[in-house]
Amino acid sequence: MKTPPTKRLSPGFILGKSGAYAVLILGLVATLLPFFYIIVSSLKTDAELRQTPPDFFSKDPTLKHYITILTDENIPIERNVLNSVVVALARVAITLFTSSFAGYIFAKYHFKGKNLAFGVILIQIMIPFQVVMIPNYLLIVKFGLIDSLWALIIPSMVDAYGIFMMKQFIESMPAELMDAARIDGASEFGIYSRIILPQMGPALASLGVFTFMATWNDYLWPLIVLTSPENRTIPLLLVWFQTQHSSNQGLILAASILTLIPIFLVYIFLQRWIVDQATSSAFK
Amino acid sequence: MAISISDLFKSDNVSEGGKLMAKQRRFAYTSLVPILLYMGLFTLFPILFAMVMSLFSYTPIREGSGFLDLGGANPFIGINNFIELATGTGKPAEVFRLAVWNTFLFTVLVLPLNLIITLPLAVLLESISQKFKILFRAIYFLPTISSTVALAIIWEYMYAPGWGLLSLMFKAVGLVPPKSWLQDPNAIYFGVPLAMICVVIAHVWQDFGYNLVIFVAALQSIPKTLREAARVDGATRWQEFWLVVVPLLRRTILLTSVLTVISSLQVFVIFQLLSRGGPKNQTQTMVLSIYENAFRFSNNLGLASAMSMILFIIILVLTVTQFRILRTEWEY
Repeated sequence: MKTPPTKRLSPGFILGKSGAYAVLILGLVATLLPFFYIIVSSLKTDAELRQTPPDFFSKDPTLKHYITILTDENIPIERNVLNSVVVALARVAITLFTSSFAGYIFAKYHFKGKNLAFGVILIQIMIPFQVVMIPNYLLIVKFGLIDSLWALIIPSMVDAYGIFMMKQFIESMPAELMDAARIDGASEFGIYSRIILPQMGPALASLGVFTFMATWNDYLWPLIVLTSPENRTIPLLLVWFQTQHSSNQGLILAASILTLIPIFLVYIFLQRWIVDQATSSAFK
Repeated sequence: MAISISDLFKSDNVSEGGKLMAKQRRFAYTSLVPILLYMGLFTLFPILFAMVMSLFSYTPIREGSGFLDLGGANPFIGINNFIELATGTGKPAEVFRLAVWNTFLFTVLVLPLNLIITLPLAVLLESISQKFKILFRAIYFLPTISSTVALAIIWEYMYAPGWGLLSLMFKAVGLVPPKSWLQDPNAIYFGVPLAMICVVIAHVWQDFGYNLVIFVAALQSIPKTLREAARVDGATRWQEFWLVVVPLLRRTILLTSVLTVISSLQVFVIFQLLSRGGPKNQTQTMVLSIYENAFRFSNNLGLASAMSMILFIIILVLTVTQFRILRTEWEY
């Protein structure tokens, strides 16, 4: 129901409205200020960075630190960026397939033991990562996958929450199309790939973006299973970089901003899916 | 109207329908078996093996006699790991007991701070035009999607004693900033170490967008008539918030509180990279202890597994609570 127009125009309401904007803008400033301060600081010269008390803005802003990171041959970022991209894309592709496929089975088939099977899958949601990370580390060692990118992909191929979400989504699809396809002689897998999957765009987009970002930012598990410099993903590279160049603040700040840029770009274009996914995941 | 499979089954064409159903069942089973085997290997086995390991003196460096190096040089020691953690005088046990307290303290500080920020902001967001609402919400959510590693570096710089923004702001308003924000073990306010306060602020700053979008979504689902009725009856905005909005959101608030507590208990990156557990273990947490005992210092996987079991039990109780809240019927 709409607020009556007289209410909207009353002085008390307008005062409340500008008050609301004042608080919201204050929150906005608090949210953006740390990013802003690091960006302006990363543009300072080395001398300006050492100066106390510092000026807020550089008098002679420079992209020097960014250029050093992107071009210096002693800073091998290409391989590490590639690692992060490959692992993230692999995990997105695999998670989207296993989630939608298992979700389809649970949503559209009736068989004995279905609730039990679904319960087994949901256990994953209840178990904190810190409990399974030690045994999983031993498994990865036993399989000979330690210090390889496979160690980041193999243990995360099935996402219980993804299955749950896809099941909900597919349950709302009408059964008529499936039955029509069956009568036309489609296989059960064909119904999944040709009837179900093409209708799942929004759900796949949400889960895909979320999986991509979670993988891109993942730190604890890569820290445990990766050791060689060439296998590092971006968060590990950033931490290593910080210990290597602890005296060079400008480089570290520029590196952390560079790390955030890809995720921010993804976010700008796919903001709606991300916020939707975050909202629904609370009610899993 | 299309014929559904269940109609077929009900009709006189029983044998045809039965064959179809059997074919579908076979497909469902063969599809699920690999997924369930996978879950068995990477979820059920690890949780059981963590339980088993917590009863052994276990380190992967030693070669045991039995399954997965259990037994022999990695002997069964019953609940000794747990006794050590509860009462022992070894360094890891002493640090762990402090870590349990610190994790509890962190959670108790994060939850109210988070709610004090997110609830009013959500109500205010709800009251402005749709266009601005989406823009503000998107920006508030920005820290949530950022790499915590990068944010830890950003906040380390924010807290830097000489050139950090917080020291500059203190000076700007005529206050004397602390000599060190993150490393002074003697800086304690109201029983809370300053380093812990700093981590709480950085974490809530990163995390508040998450609860905010949930509250905004929940507010949208409250019928507008209820709040309008309160206004027509002459309620102030303050009364409307406390007497209408908060009671209507009770279930959502409860649920997000449980989720916030569960995630706060598991915070790792910012403790490891921003305060590094220090000074004098004042920001050492349970998860940091598990990681350090398993992978950094001692490779004592038995003891670390016992620690993880304690964390698991706490989180399990909270998760059961969460499911119970979800199950309760709710109507406006």
